[in-house]
This record gives sequence, C-alpha cells and structure tokens, in this order.
Amino acid sequence: MDIAITGLRRSFGRVTALRGVDLTVRGGMFGLLGGNGAGKTTLMRIMAGVVAPGSGQVRVGGYDMTTRSGRRDVQRRLGYVPQDLGFYPDLSPREFLDYVALLKGLDDATARRRQVGELLDMVGLADVAGRRMKGFSGGMRRRVGIAQALLGDPALLIVDEPTAGLDPQERIRFRTLLAGLAGQRTVLLSTHIVEDIAQTCHDTAVLAAGRVVYTGSVTDLTRTAEGATWQMTTTGAPPTDGVVVSAVTREGGTQYRVISQARPSPDATSVAPTLEDGYVALMRRHTPAPAV
Amino acid sequence: MTALLAVARYEFRMQVRKRSLWISSALLGGALVLVQGDRGPHSLPVGTPAREVVGTWALLFAILMPLAYGMLLADRLVRDRKLRVEPLLESLPLGAAARLFGKYLGGVAACAVPGLVALLLAAVTELPKRHDPALLGWALVAFAVVTLPGIAMIAGFALVCPTFVTVPLFRVLFVGYWFWGNVLLPATLPTLTGSLLSPIGSYAASWLLGTPVLYAGIPGPLPVLRPEPTGSAAAASIALLVVAGLVPLLAVGLLRGRRRTA
Repeated sequence: MDIAITGLRRSFGRVTALRGVDLTVRGGMFGLLGGNGAGKTTLMRIMAGVVAPGSGQVRVGGYDMTTRSGRRDVQRRLGYVPQDLGFYPDLSPREFLDYVALLKGLDDATARRRQVGELLDMVGLADVAGRRMKGFSGGMRRRVGIAQALLGDPALLIVDEPTAGLDPQERIRFRTLLAGLAGQRTVLLSTHIVEDIAQTCHDTAVLAAGRVVYTGSVTDLTRTAEGATWQMTTTGAPPTDGVVVSAVTREGGTQYRVISQARPSPDATSVAPTLEDGYVALMRRHTPAPAV
Repeated sequence: MTALLAVARYEFRMQVRKRSLWISSALLGGALVLVQGDRGPHSLPVGTPAREVVGTWALLFAILMPLAYGMLLADRLVRDRKLRVEPLLESLPLGAAARLFGKYLGGVAACAVPGLVALLLAAVTELPKRHDPALLGWALVAFAVVTLPGIAMIAGFALVCPTFVTVPLFRVLFVGYWFWGNVLLPATLPTLTGSLLSPIGSYAASWLLGTPVLYAGIPGPLPVLRPEPTGSAAAASIALLVVAGLVPLLAVGLLRGRRRTA
C-alpha cells in the first residue's frame, strides 16, 4: 500500500504538531524516526484515520484521508498498534482478539476463531490464550497488540513506538516479528529508538519539529555523519565542540564518541559512523542553536 | 449492526464479570430484604395474588438497587480512554454510534441480570409458602415493566454524564438525584417523584399492584407528567423512561460524530 503525503499540516489548539509534511512511502518496512514531540504520533494517527488531516493531501493506498469515507476505506485494510496500547484487564487475549476481529468485520465465527488461534500461536501466547490479561507483562501485552493488528490480514500495518519499555530480548523478538511481516505488506514503524530502525528498515524518514528533515535509505542517513564521527579518550573534561554520542569509562580515562565537523581534539581519531551517529549529525543540523 | 452487537456482547461480558456489580447488588438488595418489616412483600398474607406479591418485591428492590447500577455504569464510556484502548477503537472501521449504543445495550443487559436474579430469587423463596408457580411468571413481568425501564433510563445518563463531569462527581450527583427525583415529596421541593419520568417505576408498580404506590400521580410540578395511575399511564411511563435514556446517547452520538468529521 503506497502512502503519498504533501503539505500536511495539523494543529491542536495553539500547538502545531505538523508543519507541512511531504512524504512518500512504498511497500515494505519503513521507519519513522524522531525525538519526543517531533510529530510522529500525530502523523501515525492521521494515517490510521484516527485524526483528520488539518490541511494538505494524504493518500493511503489511493484513498483520500481528508474525507471520512477515505479514512473508513483505509481502516478496513489497516492494522494499527497505537503507542502505549492498553487492554481490558477483564478479557483474555483470545476474547480481546475475538472482539477486535468482530469490530473489523470478520463475521464468520469459524474463520474468526481459526485466525485468532493462528495469531496467538504466531506471537507465542497460545498457552495463556484463556487467561485474563490483568497480570500480563509489557512484552506479552505488546504481542497481543501486534496480534490484534494482524487480524484480517491488513495491507498496511502502522506500529507506533512498539519497543519502548521492553527488555532487550523482547525488543529483538518484537523487531524480528515485525520485519517478518513486511514481506507481504507495508509496515510503518515509528520509533525514537534508532537501533530498531537500523535492524529492520531499508528506508526511513526523520521528523523534527513537525517537518520531515530526511527521507531516504538508512545507509544514506548513516553517511550523513561520515567524516564527522570521532573517538577520543581523555582523563579531562568531556569535549565541548560537537555532540557526545557515547561516553565509556575505561582504565586510561573516558572514551568519547563525538559528532563534530571539526576534529574535537588533536588525539581524536575519525571512525566509521553508525546510524545513530548519522541521526545525531542530522538532528544537529536541524536543531536551532541555543540563544545566548 | 455486527459492530453494535459485538460491542454490546463484550460490554455485557466484561461488566457482568465485575464483582462489584454482584456485591453492591447483593448488599443493597439484602439490606432491603432485611429492613422490609411487616409492610414488606414477605409479610403479605397467604392467598395474596402472585401478581401483587411479586409487584411488591419489584417495588422494594427498585427503591435502592438502581443506585448500584448508576454507580457502576458511570465509568463505562470513559473507561476506554482510561485503559488506553480508545486510540485502537478509533482506528477500526466502526462508527461512534455503534460503539455508544453497543455500550449502552451491553450495560443495560449486564445490570439487568442481578435485577432479574433478585426477583426470581424472591419468587422462589415465596414458592414454599404460597404454592403458586405463577410467581415465577409474574417475576418476569415485574422485571420487564418495573426494573428494566428504570435501568434503561439510568444507563443513558450514567454512560454519558461522566464524559462532561468526573466519575466521582457524577456518582455523588446521582445519589442526590435518586433521592430527590424518586423519594422526596413535591410538597417539600419541586421534584419528579411520582411522575411518569420516575425511574423507580411507580406507575408500572401501581399497575401491577392495582393501587397507586410510591406517590404515582401525586400532585406536583409538570402536571402533564402526573396522570392518574392506570395501565396506559404505566405503558406511557415505560416508553418515556426508555426514550429518556436514549436522549443523552443521541445527543453525545451526534456531538462525537461531528467531532470525528472535523
């Protein structure tokens, strides 16, 4: 399912969340990166038909999201995992999936039951399918979240911050699951965790202050920091020129990884950038300098 | 239609499992049974028609049990937001009206279960003394005409009002309303007590018992809503209570529909 957005703006009262977003997404897995408050969730909610666009054009799979009927058409083909999705504690995962399936219009009881069973199997919750979700861990709840999104075999899957708060093992498991789903559909993954994008997406967009500041391949985003990524070890104060990406204390002092156009210190060595370095370099370019 | 029934089905399932529904109904119902005294249904002489016996039981339960229903229904609509399920529900191809009316139907059905159980239990406990199997049939009739319309009205307001005021505030106001609008006499304060719009079911109970009870038709404000208690007045009361319960739903449904389009 292709997504084409041009000049999208959306405000909530006096707060402007999106300030003219232009974005094109073609099938497969696509990452949407950005800090807190960048406008990712608003953009996701618009594409999920939860929020109407303010102005501009949004077409998802050819449907016009500025109209109510267009949003409804997309919702019939959509799987959505909202940020911080909650559940009814008094239902079991099987009941919750059955409920969502009914609301998605899966009327055939036999087919619905079969699909619910298959999805619970797929996300590894078959053993606890009849247990109420009250005592479920964060990871188990996210898995129920992804299972409900896959009901009805949607052509578009929108997943908003799915790995926040998960332990490393659960995060890896979740990422693998998502990547496996992108073969037959468009998966839109919104996150502020760069590693999630690095491990799963070929293409990505970066959102900052309600605007798309980068769109292209993950490799090209990494290249943004080429020649600007440095490593240095010192016992003195941290470098002030540039952005410190990491600081690891070692025997001979603290090893800093710095993004800076100029060499931050004479003993700093240039190193190959990672996606995180590329993201930091890009954000540095698009973050206004603090007022003096 | 499928979506509406799905919401109703799962709303019913979730609510009927709530321990608080059963505990509060049992406490209020039990308290009424204990304090009924020698004017209560249990003291009616042997030979009293089954219709009258069960009608008196329905009236007794209607005095306090709906308080529990109003309290419990108060958080059902705001609950989706509180539990963070709302964004998901809004992303589904499901109209705001289906969600709203589904919750209403499920809520009414869930609250109706303890109401029906209470009346059937009362009828069963009367059986050894009165040896009249018609008690069970009249229990169903009393449930349909006295208990259910009251729940239908309460449910509409209890679902919708907490979207405008907080749930705890609504609960306090609801208790105040209950005693003002059903028990307080119009001579003391202008009130709906004894009118067709009294969800305690005074008109329907009067029809069952064959005599005016709980101030049905008592003179007061809005005399048009206080006709002589007859069978047709009871039918009018039932219809008005059901419609009154639907009014807040229609209002908020229109409002939400407009907001979603915006």
